[in-house]
Amino acid sequence: MNAVLRAMRDELRALFGDAQVLSILLVSLLIYAVIYPLPYRAELLRDVPVVLVDQDRTTASADLARRVDASEAVAIRTDARDMAQAVRLVQERRAYGVLLIPEGFERQLLRGRQSPVAVYADASYFLMYQRVMQGAAVPIRQMGAEVEVGRLMAAGAALQVARAQVSPATQVEVPLFNPAAGYATYVLPAAFVLILQQTILMGLALAATRRLQGAGNPVVLVLGRMAAWVAIYAVLLPIYLIVLPALYGLPNLGRVRDALAIGLPFVLAAGLLAQCVAAVFRSDAVVQIVLLALGLPFFFLSGFAWPVEAIPPVLNAVAQLVPSTPAISGLVRVSQMGAQLPDVAMPLWHLWALTAGFGLLAVLIQTLQTRSASGLSDMQATGRSET
Amino acid sequence: MGRVMVRELALLLRRPVLLGLVVVLPVLLIALLTSIFRAGIPTGMAVAVVDLDRSDLSRSITRMLDAAPEVQVTHQALNLSEARALIVSGAVRGAVWLPAGLERDMTRGERPEIVTFYDNQYMSAGSMVARGARGAIDTALAGLRLSIRQGKGEAPAQAQSALQPIPMQTHALFNPAFDYVHFLLAALVPTVLQILAAAGTAYAISLDFGPGRDPRDLVRLAGGILPAMLGKILPYTGAFLLVLGLSDVVLYGWLGVPLRGSLPLMAAGAVLFVLAAQLIGTLAFVLTRNIGTAASIVAVITAPAFGYMGLGFPREAMSPVAQAWGALIPGTWYVQLRIDQSLRATPVEISIWPVLWLALIALGLAALVLAQLTRLHRTGTVAT
Repeated sequence: MNAVLRAMRDELRALFGDAQVLSILLVSLLIYAVIYPLPYRAELLRDVPVVLVDQDRTTASADLARRVDASEAVAIRTDARDMAQAVRLVQERRAYGVLLIPEGFERQLLRGRQSPVAVYADASYFLMYQRVMQGAAVPIRQMGAEVEVGRLMAAGAALQVARAQVSPATQVEVPLFNPAAGYATYVLPAAFVLILQQTILMGLALAATRRLQGAGNPVVLVLGRMAAWVAIYAVLLPIYLIVLPALYGLPNLGRVRDALAIGLPFVLAAGLLAQCVAAVFRSDAVVQIVLLALGLPFFFLSGFAWPVEAIPPVLNAVAQLVPSTPAISGLVRVSQMGAQLPDVAMPLWHLWALTAGFGLLAVLIQTLQTRSASGLSDMQATGRSET
Repeated sequence: MGRVMVRELALLLRRPVLLGLVVVLPVLLIALLTSIFRAGIPTGMAVAVVDLDRSDLSRSITRMLDAAPEVQVTHQALNLSEARALIVSGAVRGAVWLPAGLERDMTRGERPEIVTFYDNQYMSAGSMVARGARGAIDTALAGLRLSIRQGKGEAPAQAQSALQPIPMQTHALFNPAFDYVHFLLAALVPTVLQILAAAGTAYAISLDFGPGRDPRDLVRLAGGILPAMLGKILPYTGAFLLVLGLSDVVLYGWLGVPLRGSLPLMAAGAVLFVLAAQLIGTLAFVLTRNIGTAASIVAVITAPAFGYMGLGFPREAMSPVAQAWGALIPGTWYVQLRIDQSLRATPVEISIWPVLWLALIALGLAALVLAQLTRLHRTGTVAT
């Protein structure tokens, strides 16, 4: 037990004694917590500018334009003479959609015929396209339904009957969780988990590359280091998972202890993986650069932003080896969706399995290092004072 | 300058780590990202149906749901709380609730409610469920409305057109194939390359400041600070452009992403982008003369850069501070240029602006690097 404590103390000294490791663990927390979320602070996309090309210029066309303008998603900012001028405005990014009302729009409606309108949306920006289509579709459909009801009533139907014929059932769509569809609420809970993982990996791998081969029982050494990480992240983890989300006003439906129950194997699995990464790349600079570049691929592999259904099975299998994959699923479900531990049993056991697997590897690596360094233990003291 | 470049290339070949960072790693990561998105637009999101009606109508709605490409009915839940538990655990992405008495109420004209619940925390999957369910239910209801009209003796074509007095014709500007996949890739590749160009260049330069090396040797060899800097940086510019070019061949050639703009403009943008990214790494290193600290600076600037490019949440909707920070990052302009010139076929006089911004950023960074190098040279500081 004393040996475990000694290994823990050594690791804490190594982490706190190295300015660079410390800056990764602490300062990057602050910087990343500010820089990462900044683009998403606005949360919602409102009043996306749309150009109106009204070739009809009648009461009906003006009514349609006014209804579209009144929707929350889009706002009609400018008029254009023709499509060419409208497209140019979109190319200049001054608008993201075009509502084209063709000549004869009102005449066709009055004659009881179909009277189509066209909506062009900038499909090079995913969210803009969605919002423009949403913003236009609802009012256009509504106006269409009113026209149909009017025609049925003109043909002698009672209001209720006409309404029921136009829409026999009411469709209701209920977003569970993130009901306002806020972008920060969507992306930040997952992004914080990924940032946490990358800082754990970088900081602890950096310390591992600089560590001189420790002497002693490898299992004891690894256990001691794990204890050190738990001690540090007992402070940092609640900051990432509870304080930061609260500062950004993100909802938290879960219980703190459930989040911490997932956080524990997550920190351990990431820390042990860091030991393996350090053993593969060895140089401190290389470890940092490699992990830096891997952040974004890890995020898209996790199955959060890009649905797991669309990830090729082989890659998905590889993704299961990265702690962020189960951790994002587990932590997001707990904090954002109010899941309790039985709901997230899969990711929880997944993380413990990774902890066990990477733990075995870390002990193996330590065994090899101890063996190659046997007899050099007295160099350790001089080595440590240099760092 | 030539001698420094030759020396650098020899160094690159001698050091497998360096070669790994500037060539192997970017190629691997780009291949990884390409294969993540290779499968194309996601389909078949799992949904549960809570069918409390068990009528012909409710079964026909379920069939329509299953036929929609966006969704796939994988579970039948007995009640809403079971459906909710399935969503929370991640077994399904949403649930459609068909209330008891649905068919009866509908024939009575009581307009019953059909409710679609979807997981909007996993927004990309959830919105797909909402869209798929809406379309499927609309189709089922349209069939019903059509049969009512035909029952009253309307001709099928007439009845069909009467269902929708104002049809909305939707058109996708610039990206008719709806290829978000390739669009995402076109932005992810520069993001990863920006990280590696900045960090890799910083690392390469750090090797000249390492133990047993005097950076002034380099200046003497090149005959001046500027040629020394260029000779040091340009071989890597070539390497990164090669990687970028390779991925563009895959993207625009093999994967068939449209390339509808000016190639020279794209090429100019690519060169300026790689140079600017490299200069971020260079500046970070010459300011700190410590590869660890330099890597941290590079991390702070380049790692969150993807969010600022506005592919997910658009730049125009960001706060002015976020827009300004994004404008300082070369990747923002380069990605905009790529989207303009590949998907949007933007006229050159609009698209020249991102290129000019890139040039400005590169020049600004180069000036800062030169100033710092001159200062170091004058004071004769040699890194430890």
